[in-house]
Amino acid sequence: MLPSETATKQGSLLDRLTETVLRRIAGHSSRRDVITRIGGAVAAAPAFMLLPVSRADAASAKPKAMTPFGSKAQAKDENACDYWRYCAIDGNLCTSCGGGVHSCPPGTAPSPTSWIGSCYNPQDGNSYMIAYRDCCGQDSCNEVTCLNTDGDQPSYRPMANNDIIWCFGTGTSEMYNCSTAAVIGKAS
Amino acid sequence: MTLPNSRNSAGRRVTRAAMLCSLASGLALLAGATSGRAEEPVLQTEQSDTVKLAPWSAHTILVVDAVYQHNKDGRTYIVDGDKGRLLGMVQAAYNANVVMTADDASKFYVGETTWERGNRGERNDLLAEYDSSTLRIIADEKLPSRALVTPKRNDLAISADGSYVYVYQMSPSNAVEVVDTKTHKVAQTVDIPGCALAYSWGNSGFSSLCADGTLANVSLGADGKSSMTHTAAFFEPDHDGIFEQSPSVTKDGKAWFISYTGKVYEAKLGADSTVAKPWSLQEGAGLKAAPDSSKPFEVTWRPGGWQMAALHKSTHELYVLMHKGTFWTHKDGGTEVWVYDTETHKRLRRMPLPVASPMVGVTQDDKPLMFATDEDTGDFFILDPKTGKQLRKMKALGGSLIFTLAPGEG
Repeated sequence: MLPSETATKQGSLLDRLTETVLRRIAGHSSRRDVITRIGGAVAAAPAFMLLPVSRADAASAKPKAMTPFGSKAQAKDENACDYWRYCAIDGNLCTSCGGGVHSCPPGTAPSPTSWIGSCYNPQDGNSYMIAYRDCCGQDSCNEVTCLNTDGDQPSYRPMANNDIIWCFGTGTSEMYNCSTAAVIGKAS
Repeated sequence: MTLPNSRNSAGRRVTRAAMLCSLASGLALLAGATSGRAEEPVLQTEQSDTVKLAPWSAHTILVVDAVYQHNKDGRTYIVDGDKGRLLGMVQAAYNANVVMTADDASKFYVGETTWERGNRGERNDLLAEYDSSTLRIIADEKLPSRALVTPKRNDLAISADGSYVYVYQMSPSNAVEVVDTKTHKVAQTVDIPGCALAYSWGNSGFSSLCADGTLANVSLGADGKSSMTHTAAFFEPDHDGIFEQSPSVTKDGKAWFISYTGKVYEAKLGADSTVAKPWSLQEGAGLKAAPDSSKPFEVTWRPGGWQMAALHKSTHELYVLMHKGTFWTHKDGGTEVWVYDTETHKRLRRMPLPVASPMVGVTQDDKPLMFATDEDTGDFFILDPKTGKQLRKMKALGGSLIFTLAPGEG
């Protein structure tokens, strides 16, 4: 997916995640099983990742941004489309809709499943895996709308596609309100 | 309001006398106008009725508006391309898709989703069948499900003879619902594990693109059962994915799968689809082929957008939206349209667009029209496909115009 050796590992990890999910689907699982398993895969990610990352460690081996978006991203304004963790976001920023970078606005509910991107943080020089969880139950919020496409693949690669509405199993309707971008682990 | 103290925007005092004077002048003019019309016949009483559309011409098209700002209010417009005039509209709610009968455009189908109480209540996934002349619903079938995704044309497809409509669903396992258009019922649901979308071929089959770089080919048997084959892997999705909205022709099963870098894989879809060695959009234009995701910083001309390509079947011309950018700019609108001969693989012409457009469409007649849009304003452009010259502009036609559908397409 990306040029350096680090990136190759990152691509492999993403590949494995996607592969795993798709293989499960291919195994004729029931829909409920699939939701549970995808949810489990995403929810499990933080358990084996160490956060926050030490600044000192980051400074000693700072990789370069591996995509055009990453090379221009900023780490200060989470209401702007060029905020680093929005590298593959497609939709409305929940930070501008009454929510936060990993919080849904009141009156909506976060999706237990999501698709996953990998974004470069210029502040600490690391890349992180980002779960773009949708907030669901109200119609489109539309205060700040972004279309970033780093690593975005077509919908036949659902775990890397930013067009799918991930409002499965939220307890609300599957109506999309806005997108969050939760760090779920270090990618490199 | 106290008149003597009122001020207009220029800050001038408006006196009561001046107001009265203006009023008197106005009444005098009105009296004069009334007397001038006095000799004309008195208008007759009128009955309210509803317009019936004339038979659709090759330039009567559907334009899908996803209305991203409030998706549940999506709609489809019927547009007269020759006049740049809106002829009517129907609901196309919440990431809807549209297909049309291939032979005569006498009917079209809208796959859409609503909730009983607006944003809540029972979810209804629907397939509405419309009469193209009255825009009345002929059938309004409730589906088991449908994929909720920013609409791609191939989330919905129709067989060449119109007997089946294929509805892609992701819930989140992947399947295609096969709707029998005679009985208006789902005849069968075909699981397509690891695959997505439906590219219809012939009267009883479709293919889907798969995560492993293959095509899944589904044949529908007369016994109501289906069988599936897979091609060998012919592309690498994470290095150079294929655009979902690549054009295909249902009748003969020909498809032109275009990749992010600009490779064109010509395929003959069927029970055992075949895929030819790809050719390059850039090389067909005398340029170097674009690199894949392993060199993401290289800026060159690349295909991109939403409805990013269109096919004019009889002249075998392929219209592709092109922009200059790095890898991962595959959803950037095209600043130009490049037109290729699908037989020689050479670029025939290039045309700049009025503004970068996420959509290009073309009608299928001998004197075709080309379509594009401005994402920011919702303007809809009707263009000459030989020169790119703007023929007509429909100002602010919609909120999020994402694709067009012309009679005889697909």
